Amino acid sequence: MKSLLSLGRAKYKLFYHYIGLALVAILTSSVTAKDYLIRNATVYTSGQKGVLNNTDVLISDGFIMEVGRQLKSRPSYEVIDATGKFITPGLINAWTQIGLEEISAAEATVDYQTKNKAHSASFNIAPALNLNSTLIPHNKMNGLTRAIVAPSQGEHIFQGSGAAIVLMAKSEEYIKSNLAQFVRYGSEGAELAGGSRASAYLVLHQALSEADFLRNNRRQFTPGKPHQFSMSLQDLDALAPVLERKNPLVVFANRSSDIKTLIDISKEFKLKLVINGGAEAWMLARELALAEIPVILDPLDNVPSAFESLGVKLEGAAILLKAGVKLLFTNRSSHNAYLVRQSAGNAVAYGVSLEEAIKAMSINVAEVFGIESYGKIELGMHADLVIWDGDPLEITSNAERVFIKGHDQLMTSRATRLRDRFWDLRDIQNKAYKK
Amino acid sequence: MKVVSLKQLVYFCSFLSSFFIVGCQQQDQQIEKSNSDPSTAYSSKYQLNEDEPPFVIEHATILTGTGKRFDDTSILVEKGRIKLIGKNFYVPPAVTRYDADGQWVTPGLIDVHSHLGVYSSPHIESSEDGNEMSSPNTAEVWAEHSVWTQDPGMPLALAGGVTTFQVLPGSANLFGGRGVTLKNVYARSVYDMKFPNAPQSLKMACGENPKRVYGANGTAPSTRMGNVAGYRNAWVKASDYRQEWDEYYLAVEAGDEIQKPERDIQLDTLAEVLRGNILVHNHCYRAEEMLVMIEVAKEFGYQISAFHHAVEAYKVADILAEQNICSAVWADWWGFKHEAFDHVRENAAMLEKASACAIIHSDSEIGIQHLNQEAAKAMAAGNKSGLDLKPKEVISWITSNAAKAIGIDDQTGTIEENKMADIVIWSENPFSVYAKTNKVFIDGRLVYDREDQKKQPTSDFELGILDPAEGRLR
Repeated sequence: MKSLLSLGRAKYKLFYHYIGLALVAILTSSVTAKDYLIRNATVYTSGQKGVLNNTDVLISDGFIMEVGRQLKSRPSYEVIDATGKFITPGLINAWTQIGLEEISAAEATVDYQTKNKAHSASFNIAPALNLNSTLIPHNKMNGLTRAIVAPSQGEHIFQGSGAAIVLMAKSEEYIKSNLAQFVRYGSEGAELAGGSRASAYLVLHQALSEADFLRNNRRQFTPGKPHQFSMSLQDLDALAPVLERKNPLVVFANRSSDIKTLIDISKEFKLKLVINGGAEAWMLARELALAEIPVILDPLDNVPSAFESLGVKLEGAAILLKAGVKLLFTNRSSHNAYLVRQSAGNAVAYGVSLEEAIKAMSINVAEVFGIESYGKIELGMHADLVIWDGDPLEITSNAERVFIKGHDQLMTSRATRLRDRFWDLRDIQNKAYKK
Repeated sequence: MKVVSLKQLVYFCSFLSSFFIVGCQQQDQQIEKSNSDPSTAYSSKYQLNEDEPPFVIEHATILTGTGKRFDDTSILVEKGRIKLIGKNFYVPPAVTRYDADGQWVTPGLIDVHSHLGVYSSPHIESSEDGNEMSSPNTAEVWAEHSVWTQDPGMPLALAGGVTTFQVLPGSANLFGGRGVTLKNVYARSVYDMKFPNAPQSLKMACGENPKRVYGANGTAPSTRMGNVAGYRNAWVKASDYRQEWDEYYLAVEAGDEIQKPERDIQLDTLAEVLRGNILVHNHCYRAEEMLVMIEVAKEFGYQISAFHHAVEAYKVADILAEQNICSAVWADWWGFKHEAFDHVRENAAMLEKASACAIIHSDSEIGIQHLNQEAAKAMAAGNKSGLDLKPKEVISWITSNAAKAIGIDDQTGTIEENKMADIVIWSENPFSVYAKTNKVFIDGRLVYDREDQKKQPTSDFELGILDPAEGRLR
């Protein structure tokens, strides 16, 4: 099944014709995911088909098998009536520390940064990820099925590489590591690099130049032997995927002049640059669109909280979108990463279309970070989807059912357990003995 | 100012002492009692707009903040007050009419927990004025003495419908100092914003913050029990201090000669709490600690007005209801500290269910702009769990209940006749993510109009920034 699905897009149609055979394969396979036929929903596909009304979605063996009207049911399917309800892809937050922090102020539970000055770009957060974190069920049951997990803070402008995770407490197959390099520029980068934005520019430029030199002359250098580089070989090696355009370089910057400088660097080294933060990105909307540089932003954050973000405003997302910039949404929260949906709703209130807002929490993130088979409600994609009981961006709507890779997710978290224990305060002493 | 007038009095009395001792004592007494007299130093200079022309908001869906909803109803505002609420009343031709057909009207929103003006934007070290972290007891400091009235967060909050907010000191101390309630108007001075006749507050803090900040320096408190010892020690002193002064006042009134006690501005604050003139706003996350604080209040005879943050309020909602203590909570923040780990999304809803006073607060310059959304999320979480909360009830979490907790519910927080005309017109049901304020009125004055850039205030700070001819956002 999965090997079939990993074939190219052109093969999907052929595959579609053999769905009957495929079903036999599923029934005889040891895969535990059930088949679900979701009936009569409004489907935000995040794909070319846009929004589909009165549409059915068939989930089989963890994948989306069919999207269409009045699909044929079979006895083995669980049929879910979604009349009056909405389906979106399972949402993704483009910048979180899920799995890297449990209680932010309890250092022993925090792993998103290295304070070891010997490491920078080679710091890879993947081995630290904790998929049993309480943050995962909490976010998942509220509609977030995936997250980009990035390093944060740290002692160097190169923060290291991040991962994409699936919000299921399973095995490593739910983590795609080393998918982007994260950098801090702007005032924070300046402070780390020597006190000036020009220092940050120097460190960034020098590292990229050296990494480029190193990857072209790699055999001349071996670990342990002295060299004249400004960073360790390991750290410079970690930048190779960025220079080879395999991985994006995600740079935190807010001031328009900083973003301008980064666009120039991106052109010089032919990088796949992504601007993270982007408070004043709207002021350079045309330049960013021309250079095909996406922006990760929290559309709800309109506070001029620093001198480098004086121009931030609620209309920023809509201006960028109109100019043709690809948007990726975050809300800069891990514990409540699912509330990226509220940020997206506010983007809609200030000019972004509902469809585009959902794309900024699904397919756009998948495309920028190279997450395969996720982000759209389309044939052949992983069945990551959410059934909402109302407008998917409305804050009073709830996720009713959440599917990840075809698995129907438990709508329980530590918070719901606490709620249930204290819902009725009578006889509270005995609650400790009830499960 | 107070100190100066006392000094003046001392000189005056020394000069005349041999002749008019009694007269001096009488003056003395007047000045001491002026501690809470609004006509003296530090009092509100906020001007009610009695000259504003009257207007009518017509055909609105109104959430009154008293639990009622009126559809297709009108409000007449005159001399800064709500004059009339009803349908089909006569409106003289000269009166301005705002057609609010399809729009919703609520009382101006109130945030009981803000640091606007004391932790101003942009956040730079030189404007970090919200917490005097130099001693576990700084009851002597007043947030109003730090307020920068040009914080660009204030006009942003206004665009979010916030007409009144309480500025509190931070939570590093057991006693953080006095908070102040402000009208969200452009002003040169905090006194031109200070809510008229609003009591001041005392910020207290439980839990992790005080013990971390001071314990880390090797000074008390370093434990939660150390926190409680710190409160009790201070209240013991404050009780004595209050008694000393009260006896002094009584003696003066009776014409007896008695030595005037020594002034202590830290104990002034605490004594005013014990007299019921300053309201206690207590940062406290955990259920256990809230119940301990109720015992402390019982020991020294004061009332806690509200627990702030109160992530675990749902665990003791019955007791909070019985004790008449409000809980000012977030819709969903959790996990940033251990004491914020036991969060439930239904916290406010479970308080409401237990008939306790629930408030949604922001503690954030983003959250304060969207209190309606925060309340909506908290409502939706309750309803998803089986309650049937409606906007007409839940609006009180960000209006009338907030007004009650900060002691201004007799003046604002509801759409009722004779209340201050602090009113928001919303583009649609404010419990929607898509709702925006269309117009905001404070005391009957149109202070924000989304359709008219000339009616959108900007702070001094924002003038000529980014674009010298325009400003920050234009």
